[in-house]
Amino acid sequence: MIDDLYYIEKHAYRTSIVHRLDARIKLLVTLAAILAIIAMPYSTKVYDLGAVLFALVVVLWAASRLSPVVYLRRLALIMPFGIFLIGFQVFVKNPYYEVFHPIATFPFGIEVYAESVQFASILLVKFIVSISFIILLSSTTRMQDLLEASGRLGLPREFTLPLGMMIRYIFVFADMFGKIRSTMETRCFDPLDRTLPYRYRLRQLGYTVGMIFIRSYEQGERTYTSMLCRGYGANTSLQIRGKALGAGEVSFFAGALALIVLSTVLIYLRP
Amino acid sequence: MHIPDFMFPVAQGLVYWVIALIFIVLALRWARHSMGEEKVPLVAVLAAGIFAIQALNIPIPWGTSGHMVGAALAAIVLGSPFAGVFVLTLVLLVQGVIFGDGGIIAMGANIINMGVIGGFVGYYSYTAITSMTGNSYAAAFVAGWASLFISAILCAVELAIAGTFPLVAGLTFMGTYHAVIGLIEGGITAFALYLIASARPDILEHPRGVST
Repeated sequence: MIDDLYYIEKHAYRTSIVHRLDARIKLLVTLAAILAIIAMPYSTKVYDLGAVLFALVVVLWAASRLSPVVYLRRLALIMPFGIFLIGFQVFVKNPYYEVFHPIATFPFGIEVYAESVQFASILLVKFIVSISFIILLSSTTRMQDLLEASGRLGLPREFTLPLGMMIRYIFVFADMFGKIRSTMETRCFDPLDRTLPYRYRLRQLGYTVGMIFIRSYEQGERTYTSMLCRGYGANTSLQIRGKALGAGEVSFFAGALALIVLSTVLIYLRP
Repeated sequence: MHIPDFMFPVAQGLVYWVIALIFIVLALRWARHSMGEEKVPLVAVLAAGIFAIQALNIPIPWGTSGHMVGAALAAIVLGSPFAGVFVLTLVLLVQGVIFGDGGIIAMGANIINMGVIGGFVGYYSYTAITSMTGNSYAAAFVAGWASLFISAILCAVELAIAGTFPLVAGLTFMGTYHAVIGLIEGGITAFALYLIASARPDILEHPRGVST
C-alpha cells in the first residue's frame, strides 16, 4: 500500500476542473454518496442507485482527465479482501432472505443459492460504488487539502494537528521503507523466501519492525523538539485559513447533493 | 481485517463509530496528559512509522503474505492501551480515506477491532503475563497473538450481527486464520521489543521485565 502513496499523490497534484474543486465539496459529496449506497437496504434497489452513483463517478472521472487505468489499478489493489467476503456469500444463507433455492451443489454438502448470489451481487455494487468515490476523492485531492477541508468543516484541532503531522511524515517513512526494502534485497534477504528458516525470517522482520519503530520515535522526538523551539505549546493548532466557495462550486455541490438525495429517496420509495 | 463499508448496515456502523469516538477522545486525553506536556506530535509521527510497519510483507506459513497491525507493540512500548487506540485511529483514517482500505462508515468498527482491542488486549495481557512470569518477551509474544486473535473474534461477531457473514463460519475461518497469523504478530512483537529494549531502553515506558 505504501508503494502507492506517491502514485496517488502524483495524480492528486494534476489539474482539472475536478482537481480544482474545493476539497470540502469533494469530501462531502463522497461521504453523501457512500452514506446513500450503504444506507440503501440490501435489496435489488441497490442496483439502480448504484448505476446512478457510478454514472456520477464516471462523469467526474472523465472531467478529472485522469486515465481509466489509474482507476482500474487502484480498484484492483483494493478489491481482494472485499472480493473474498463477497465470494463467500454465495455459499451461505443470510438473514435478509427467507427462502433459499440451491442452483449448484458441490461435494461436502456445499451449495450455491440463487438468493445468496443475488445478495453477493448487491454487496459487490455497494463495494464498487463506495470504493470508486474514495478513489475519485484521493486521486483528485491532495492530502493536505483534504486535511484543511476537514478542519474547515469542523474537525477539532485535536485531530487536525496530529493528522497533519502524520500525513507529512508518512512520505518520510515511505522513503525509509523503500530504502529498507532495497537494503534487504541488496543482502539477498527475502522474507517470503521459503528456503530460509522461518524463525530466522521472523527474527529479521522483528528487528526491522523494531528499527522502524525506533526511527519513527526518534523522528517524533526531533520534530517535537524543533516544534518547541518554534513556540509549540498546549494551545497550538494547525492554522487553517478560511476559504470562500465560488458560485460554480456551490452550484455543483447543490446539484450533486440533490442528485444523490433525490435518487436515493425516489429509488427507496419505489414499490 | 479492514472491514469494508458494505458489510455493515448504516445504523450499526454509526453505533460502532460512537463507541470508537469515546475511546478516541480518551486516547487524545491520554496523549495530552499522560505523555508529558503536549507530545501529541511525537505520537503522530510514530503513527506514520506504524503505517510503514504495516506495509512490510510478513510470511505466512502456507505461502501467502500478511501484514502486522502493531497496536500491541505501540501500547507496550508507550505503556498505555490508549497508545494503540491513538496510533491505529490515525493509521486507519489515512488508510480508509486515501487508500480505500477499510470503509468510512465501517471505520468505527475497524478502530474498535484493531485499535481498542489491539491496544487494550495487547497492553493488559503483556502486563499481566510479565508480572506473573517475569518474562517480558514471552508476554509480548502472547500479547501480540491475543491482540490479533481477539480482534478477529470480535470482527466475526460484528459481521454476524450485521447478518453479512455467518457466525460459525466467521469464527472458524477468521478465528483459525488469525490464531495462526497471530503467532507471527506475537513473534515479531517480541523480537521488536527485544531490539527496542536493547537499543533504546529509555523509550520503553515500563522497563523490560518490570510490571506495572
